Amino acid sequence: MDVSEQQLGRGSTWVVIAAMNEEAVIGDVVSEVCRAGWSVVLVDDGSHDATAAHARAAGAAVVRHSINLGQGAALQTGIDYAVRRGARHLVTFDADGQMNADDIPALVAALDDADIALGSRFLGKVEGATAKRMAFLKGAVMMSNRLSGLSLTDAHCGFRAFRASVAPQLRMTQDRMAHASELLRKIKTSGVRVVEVPVTIRYTEHSMRKGQHGFQAVRILFDYFFRA
Amino acid sequence: MIIRLLLLAGLAAIGWFVFLRRNKMPFHIVMVFALLGAGGIAVIAPETTQEIADFVGVGRGADLVMYVSIVAILFVLVRYYAKFVEMQRNVTQLTRELAIMRAEVNHEASRPVTAAPVPTRSEASPTVGLDAPQ
Repeated sequence: MDVSEQQLGRGSTWVVIAAMNEEAVIGDVVSEVCRAGWSVVLVDDGSHDATAAHARAAGAAVVRHSINLGQGAALQTGIDYAVRRGARHLVTFDADGQMNADDIPALVAALDDADIALGSRFLGKVEGATAKRMAFLKGAVMMSNRLSGLSLTDAHCGFRAFRASVAPQLRMTQDRMAHASELLRKIKTSGVRVVEVPVTIRYTEHSMRKGQHGFQAVRILFDYFFRA
Repeated sequence: MIIRLLLLAGLAAIGWFVFLRRNKMPFHIVMVFALLGAGGIAVIAPETTQEIADFVGVGRGADLVMYVSIVAILFVLVRYYAKFVEMQRNVTQLTRELAIMRAEVNHEASRPVTAAPVPTRSEASPTVGLDAPQ
């Protein structure tokens, strides 16, 4: 009973992964999540490599943007797709291997008493980050709390779970990276119940190279203020 | 004066361009030709701008023309920026609908147990056009 029933329950939780040119790592990331029994939708955001094929081989449903739109748009596409496939819970997960699928059950379990559960690397653990990056992240947390009016321990870790029923209220219109701030603002204004859950983020050489650099914060702020 | 000829030629070119592209927007056409006419008057009889400048409290006619132009250009910029954002939103919407539809078609097609995995269109033609920045 236990394994199949547990897996059946997990099947209605859709893990949404947005990826752009991640063929090097996407197979491992997707299969790690699939093996745990979650449904996975990978949104290939206009990759020029074999990201889609690797993800499909690893067991994900693949939705493919014909042109690159940005992470925010890709996640929203994945959310729309999963909701149409009957998802009850949604999880957003990074394609670059920073996140650990073992943290997903805790995030989903937190939805028993909340509408959205945000992963927090400062409640949990950060592996492999430089002191400079940690300082930058701490600054981002302060800035983000200022903008959103929430008081959270982490800013935009990108690892979160929410009920499909609140998906319409949390709809993201920011195509690129400002969607994370937009989401927090919508959490605040819509009044959905939010909790934070400790997660482990491991920075690798690969994820640092693909990740956001400090100066991109300027563009994110521009998008946040002028494109809403 | 040569400058007058150049300016008038420029205004006339704009007028001709607008005239060629006229389509069911009489109001816009009238607006554009009114503005071009005002520009023409300012070129042929610069003293009129001086009179208006004196009336509204600006020192020189040329300054008044510059102030008005700057405000007008900013207005156009903001309007086009709004259009641009709206268009981008539409592109997102279209791309999303297309992506989801293709995925759902693939999903339906792969349902029967006997069906062999069919390469999708998206794999056959990996990119369309733009290399948008990440």
